Amino acid sequence: MAAPMELFCWSGGWGLPSVDLDSLAVLTYARFTGAPLKVHKITNPWRSPSGTLPALRTSHGEVISVPHKIITHLRKEKYNADYDLSARQGADTLAFMSLLEEKLLPVLIHTFWVDSKNFVEVTRKWYAEALPFPLNFFLPGRMQRQHLERLQLLCGEHRPEDEEELEKELYQEALECLTLLAQRLGSHRFFFGDAPASLDAFVFSYLVLLLQAKLPSGKLQAHLRGLPNLCAYCTHILSLYFPWDGAEVPPPRQTPAGPETEEEPYGRRNQILSVLAGLAAMAGYALLSGIVSIQRAAPARTPDTRALGMAEEDEEE
Amino acid sequence: MSLVAEAFVSQIAAAEPWPENATLYQQLKGEQILLSDNAASLAVQAFLQMCNLPIKVVCRANAEYMSPSGKVPFIHVGNQVVSELGPIVQFVKAKGHSLSDGLDEVQKAEMKAYMELVNNMLLTAELYLQWCDEATVGEITHARYGSPYPWPLNHILAYQKQWEVKRKMKAIGWGNKTLDQVLEDVDQCCQALSQRLGTQPYFFNKQPTELDALVFGHLYTILTTQLTNDELSEKVKNYSNLLAFCRRIEQHYFEDRGKGSLSIRLS
Repeated sequence: MAAPMELFCWSGGWGLPSVDLDSLAVLTYARFTGAPLKVHKITNPWRSPSGTLPALRTSHGEVISVPHKIITHLRKEKYNADYDLSARQGADTLAFMSLLEEKLLPVLIHTFWVDSKNFVEVTRKWYAEALPFPLNFFLPGRMQRQHLERLQLLCGEHRPEDEEELEKELYQEALECLTLLAQRLGSHRFFFGDAPASLDAFVFSYLVLLLQAKLPSGKLQAHLRGLPNLCAYCTHILSLYFPWDGAEVPPPRQTPAGPETEEEPYGRRNQILSVLAGLAAMAGYALLSGIVSIQRAAPARTPDTRALGMAEEDEEE
Repeated sequence: MSLVAEAFVSQIAAAEPWPENATLYQQLKGEQILLSDNAASLAVQAFLQMCNLPIKVVCRANAEYMSPSGKVPFIHVGNQVVSELGPIVQFVKAKGHSLSDGLDEVQKAEMKAYMELVNNMLLTAELYLQWCDEATVGEITHARYGSPYPWPLNHILAYQKQWEVKRKMKAIGWGNKTLDQVLEDVDQCCQALSQRLGTQPYFFNKQPTELDALVFGHLYTILTTQLTNDELSEKVKNYSNLLAFCRRIEQHYFEDRGKGSLSIRLS
């Protein structure tokens, strides 16, 4: 038997098995089909066999890095989540994936990589903390530039004039897309009945990223939270297929007060110590360099009294 | 358009009925227009025919530059100019004509999804064939695109457009695809459309919608345009229900109303 297939993908964060959209989609599809993959969750894209993540090393040593091609390969290896779909459902899958790519992907890129508040506080922070030295200095910036360029090319040529309006239009289309997905899902457990298909993997990866990441400016997130069937769909898949990844985060999230109050006395002590150390350093420097000198007052007085005493003796004599 | 401007425009649009002198602008039919632009223009014409709205087609060499968004076709109605099928559908809806009112929510979602599928796969494949396949570019596209302009402008504009399209292809991941892979994607797309259409006359049974107009525009243009090789039209011809669909719409909405022949012949 040939070597097992190995999947290299971005590691998890924000309560998710992976923070990257493509890695998440491939991971979810693999979980759905029960494909025996050896998953390497890494934070250094230069370590992956193709230089980008996600990447699949097949049992024959070949390396595939385009997500759609990875899924096609898994299908060829008989791990097919779409096996039970009718022809019409297969057609619907293609159509809805196009809808996702055209309407939801630009806004997702914009939310995570272009919106300045989100980028600085969430995305760049995670990548800068996760990437090893010295990649964490330049790689997040480079990734942002790549995503920005992709967004510019996807959205067309009228960027310079009305960026605000373009943004509003994008968000409006994305909101519509979310509503359409909610209507299509209805009250079913998955898009095509009771078993998950490849469309579910993609929709899940898009939605769960939007839902779980703590975004400071998340208009799309707010809208998504208002669609209860989509939220239930995401949490259902997360708890069913990624139970231990999902469970890693709740303990720290449930006791946010604990670590904070513990830090407080240490924080105060550290503050006082640092102030004292600063004062001592300043005083020591001042004394040593002669800016301030301490003179003793006591020896200065005795010559005076002796002088007085001598003057008195002189007077007596 | 911002939300406020859009609401304003809808108000204005709703206020006036459809005039008799509405015009649709596209590039020159015989010498200049390319496959993808012709498909888009035909889709809009079919949509307006289905809504029973009169439109006159005017060909101008600089239609692309006249358009507010840079894409053809665009329509000039009253004192407003709207380009591309999506905004035109919304504009027409504001005037009170709509083809998709009878659909329920799930069907509307499916319609939008299938329209995106056509835009994502068929339109991109057409653009790829026109601008990234060296044989077609050399023989047909360069010559046609630059035909209204004098030398050296015709070459410069053609190369500029080609560079732009190639950049876009790279951004969406089609840059490394071979022609065979692109044709396979077209086949997959046609298969999906054929399965969705099934044996019905239109995609949503009895009444045509904007999806039918869009699919008709693209498929008819692919079938009737002569390129360096016939592989693209062969892929579509494999699906007999799609051929019957095109024929049906052509007969019902174009020939019966005396619009005459639609096809363009490239030599």
